[in-house]
Amino acid sequence: MLLFRSEEHVDRWCKAWRMERGATLTLAQQWQLAQAWYSADRQDPLWRRKTVDETEAALAAAGLTGPFWNVSPPA
Amino acid sequence: MIQSNDDLDRRVRRLVYDVALRRGAPPTLAATADGLGASSPQIAASFQRLAAGRVLVLAPDSGEILMANPFSAVPTPFLVEFDDYSCYGNCIWDAMGIVAMRGRDASIKTSCGDCGAPMEVRILSQTLHSPRGVAHYALPAQRWWDDIVFN
Repeated sequence: MLLFRSEEHVDRWCKAWRMERGATLTLAQQWQLAQAWYSADRQDPLWRRKTVDETEAALAAAGLTGPFWNVSPPA
Repeated sequence: MIQSNDDLDRRVRRLVYDVALRRGAPPTLAATADGLGASSPQIAASFQRLAAGRVLVLAPDSGEILMANPFSAVPTPFLVEFDDYSCYGNCIWDAMGIVAMRGRDASIKTSCGDCGAPMEVRILSQTLHSPRGVAHYALPAQRWWDDIVFN
């Protein structure tokens, strides 16, 4: 995940590298997601990775929904 | 006494994140073995299990930790500056994640992925003070672990 000055810079980068455009987040969304993702204490013996449902809930809380953000295994 | 692989893996994870949070980067395999009084092969195997569980990302040749998310063991374009040390995140998400984990004021120094212009993200009292800029995710969520180093 890279940071860009604006959506126009994302478009230019994708064109220059012949990359399909993905999705963009505002910095506020990114900060919200970072806080949700890394709030748990990874030194805690009981820590575990987030489940699919927990991951999708964290993404949704940051306003990230739809097929691009779906982490469920294909049916 | 370390009694099982699960027990060892929990101890390794605890030590890795203890070191990363105190120093800004995960420990080497040798330092982890020293810290836990275990052998290098035991720790190498634990690293491999933790990597299989997507807790760590290892360098393919050496088996050393490359990423203990959100921390990077090597320099990246995402420098996180605190008042006591500076360190590297693997991406903008992880750079912010380090700030969230530590709960301290920080400045993230990076550059625009397109034009290279310097960019700074400041987080003070857990509040974002640099609202400009957008993060781009090139791959959909289901493909993030296809190539986590690229992603």
